[in-house]
Amino acid sequence: MIAENFYILSIALFSIGIVGVVSRRNIFVVYMSIELMLSGVNLLLVTLSRLHNSLDGSVMVLLLIAVIAGEASIFLAMIIQLYRSSKSLDSDNFVELAQIEKGNQ
Amino acid sequence: MERRRVVLENNIFIVLSIFLVGGSFGMILFKETLFSAFSFLIAMLALAGVFALLNNSFLFLAQIMVSVGAVVVLGLMVIITLNRQGKNLPQEEHKIGWIFLSTILVLPFSILLYKALMTLNLTFEETQEGFGALKMMGEVLFKNWVLPFEAISVLLLSAMVGAITIARKDENLKKESR
Repeated sequence: MIAENFYILSIALFSIGIVGVVSRRNIFVVYMSIELMLSGVNLLLVTLSRLHNSLDGSVMVLLLIAVIAGEASIFLAMIIQLYRSSKSLDSDNFVELAQIEKGNQ
Repeated sequence: MERRRVVLENNIFIVLSIFLVGGSFGMILFKETLFSAFSFLIAMLALAGVFALLNNSFLFLAQIMVSVGAVVVLGLMVIITLNRQGKNLPQEEHKIGWIFLSTILVLPFSILLYKALMTLNLTFEETQEGFGALKMMGEVLFKNWVLPFEAISVLLLSAMVGAITIARKDENLKKESR
């Protein structure tokens, strides 16, 4: 086993996550891509903790898994709320915060 | 004996990484949301296997119980509840083109990350007895990481309250739709 393979794997996960966030419009795929990026970071932290023979990195990953669980609950609640208001899963419908109202210009 | 162990570890790594990368590619390529979620489930299970390969038995457990058992299954439940299929999904005519373009844009960043990581140490040393097991993890967690641990508990509590508040039915929205 050599650490290079694990580095390549974690970089691949992170990059596929970025590609998914940028290129897809289905809001669920965007959500899962964000989780994939977090998983890539997890893999890198575990590899480095094994490499340095210290468990600090692994404990960090344990805390990150808890953060992922919190993020998932908030994101899924947001998806349900946005779905109720616009009846669609298209992320282009969810740009209300990014737009300036025409009347206020 | 040592050589056979290395070959075995390499073979397991190859199988797991095929599942991991294939699952994540399937996740961004499938049109149906449910298929994407199942590919993501496979990828997360393979990631748990990679954790086990890195001598982290406790993280292997935590990944399967929390990431797979709770997070992905919760996502699957929401997908099944909303139940949008086929024509009801967002129309993405140029999906492959967008994926190709963003891959080209992301590639230099990946190469930069690779070059940066290659400057680090590359060979694994032998671990001490009990590395990554529950006992040592608990010792490190409660010696060095007590404050982040408590902060996480507050974060989870506020996430719970926030999820309930966000997902609750909005009275104003109901009146507008009537």
